[in-house]
Amino acid sequence: MALDLTGRIGGGPRRMTALLGVTTLVLVAGPPRVLSAAAGGTHLKPPHDVEVSITDDTFTLQWASGSDPGGIVTFSADYQTLEMSNWMKLPGCQYVAGTSCDFSSINVSVYDTVKLRVRAEDGSSASPWHELGPFVPQQEARIGPPEVRLEAEDKAIRISISPPGGKNSLMWAMDRSRFRYTVVSWESPSGERKSIETRYPSYLMSGLSPETTYCVQVKAKLFLQRRPAAESPVRCVSTTAEEADGLPPPENVRVVGRGPVYVLQWSHARENVTFQAQWLYAFLRKNENYEAHWAQVPNCQQVRAARCAFPRSAFWKGIYFLRVRAARGNRTSAWSQETEFDTESQALVPPPVAVLKAINSSSLRIYVGAQNKSAYQGYLPTYEVVLWENASSVERTIVEKRVDFTVPNLKALTLYCVKARALLQTWKWNSSSEFGHTVCERTRPGDSSSARLVAVASAVLAAAFALCALQGLRKLVGYVCFPSRAPPPTIDQYISEQSLKNILLSTSEEQTEKCFIIENVDTVAEIEETSRTGEGHKTYNSQTSEDSGNYSNEDENSSGQESGDLGQEGSVWRE
Amino acid sequence: MANGSIVQMALLLCFSTTALSMSYDVLQFQQRGSISACWTLIKQLNGTGHSCLQNTIDFKFPQEIQPQKFQKKEAMLVIHEMLQQIFDLFTRNFSSTGWNETIIEKLFGELNWQMDHLEAALVEIEKEDTFTWEKSTTRQLLQDYYSRIGKYLETKLYSRCAWIEVRRHILKNFSVLDKLIDLIFKN
Repeated sequence: MALDLTGRIGGGPRRMTALLGVTTLVLVAGPPRVLSAAAGGTHLKPPHDVEVSITDDTFTLQWASGSDPGGIVTFSADYQTLEMSNWMKLPGCQYVAGTSCDFSSINVSVYDTVKLRVRAEDGSSASPWHELGPFVPQQEARIGPPEVRLEAEDKAIRISISPPGGKNSLMWAMDRSRFRYTVVSWESPSGERKSIETRYPSYLMSGLSPETTYCVQVKAKLFLQRRPAAESPVRCVSTTAEEADGLPPPENVRVVGRGPVYVLQWSHARENVTFQAQWLYAFLRKNENYEAHWAQVPNCQQVRAARCAFPRSAFWKGIYFLRVRAARGNRTSAWSQETEFDTESQALVPPPVAVLKAINSSSLRIYVGAQNKSAYQGYLPTYEVVLWENASSVERTIVEKRVDFTVPNLKALTLYCVKARALLQTWKWNSSSEFGHTVCERTRPGDSSSARLVAVASAVLAAAFALCALQGLRKLVGYVCFPSRAPPPTIDQYISEQSLKNILLSTSEEQTEKCFIIENVDTVAEIEETSRTGEGHKTYNSQTSEDSGNYSNEDENSSGQESGDLGQEGSVWRE
Repeated sequence: MANGSIVQMALLLCFSTTALSMSYDVLQFQQRGSISACWTLIKQLNGTGHSCLQNTIDFKFPQEIQPQKFQKKEAMLVIHEMLQQIFDLFTRNFSSTGWNETIIEKLFGELNWQMDHLEAALVEIEKEDTFTWEKSTTRQLLQDYYSRIGKYLETKLYSRCAWIEVRRHILKNFSVLDKLIDLIFKN
């Protein structure tokens, strides 16, 4: 309710007095924050539905009026940050007649915490403040539309995108590298809409038809952030007429690492053309004028084949873009699509070393590891181990992250071989090494076979033992029942002289014809010699007596047999 | 039946988190290698503050960035933010320093490679519904910190002494990054 200061001028003295009284009241009280109803004047309501809207670097305050339309009411706003102790006037929002104001010229950091307040005024009185906040501008800001420019070729359109808020935006100063763009394109007027997402402010839409109108609309977003975003206006352009005798750009550009070089390959339909390749640091691709930074790929200029090789040392670790174009005479094709190339994805991965150990009859322990400490530095390798029996070709493949593990369920006493390779995984690509050297190891003998061995061994021992016992028994029986005429071997110890032995002992069998009477000792020595040379030929003169017992030495074969000399020698005693 | 499905869900969760944490293993090794390479390159940029008269300045790195308090997801986001800000700092005019351009190029290459791989993992986090990194106070404080460094360089007209001071702070940032990378593996 607005205070009607214009009032009713004139009228009766009574009314005048009353009016004066009220006016005095007003003046004394000063410009009131809150007017009391008792004063009799109208009550100014504060604005409601107050909102702050920030898009890029544009700050807008909006509200709805609380008073009846018809009166002349203005609105004013203040602001305060955490560091400030007082409210300051919000620039661009003083005595505003409408229901919104632009306070973009506010002098605060986008990371400051800000409070606002706004009220209605009508000259001498004002409504209560309506407070808003606190808020941090950078957290509330929305993304505005990006600017889009199109450049048409015959079969492609180059889309150039300027980030929301422009290059010098304060709101996005610390976020500018994070913009991603969704590009929606269609053939005018109502072709199928295609949508792609790119992080680069320059995008080549290729594979188009000549002399056709295409339309494009782009929306920006910030990687990892959810913010409302506005779409750019629709932009349309027509592709040019097809070039007569034009060369198509190469396609399917790719790079592989082979030994000490990288091999760049592509496909191209035409013959009799030469090719040229260029490279660019991926991190420059986001820059506005990145085109100027393309450089020649070594060994890939004026090549006739659809491939070229350049040394690994030409590119240090990083991500690059590569592009190729064809030329014939003084005509050149358009550049191919830019291919991303991560040097690490094509790096030479050294094969791992494997060691096998037999632990029991049904398993082998496998150790895998890098050849040297820095082989897989920066990566967490997984190992692919191929195991097979030496005799067969059946293979088992095991994939393991551990460097020390056991393979179970193997056959006993079998020769197994393994070879291993390392697998490197990243969130973007996978790569692997060649297989390392093959190593082989035999599993231990099984429980059943060892038992068999033990059984056989013990059987052999038992048999030998039994044999010994049997022999011993035979000896005993023979000794008891058939005593031997052979002297105990220990006599040899006491009688060393052979001649004496011959006189005293008799060990040979069938001595009857050999019996004779010794006449003198010398003869015996002679005979002894003769008998030695002869092959058992007994030349003894003997006078047999009838009583000569045919004592056969059956136990001549026994193990207790003494030296043959004594046995074969002429026995001097015989009956 | 309900019990069965709950068990199935639990199992699925178990396996999926196992699979993810194995992949973060991979990421941790990769990032650690890159951090170390970047630090070495920045160390190679010559610069002693002998001839610089100014006192050292405190840019007030946010105290709230205490690595031990972070979850794995937040650690990855903070690492990405810091790497991006450090990269952006070096895109400013450092011609007064006489620094070797090749070393700076290698540094850009390494930082870009590292961020590219980190982003491949972060794309998964971005898809989560409860994700509100734009409202995060940590992000706001970090950006404010790097904004102060940028303003300092501007005020000092990108002088050699100003850059040497900034380089000193960036090297300290890398020890924070190192601790954050350990967190990627911890649950």
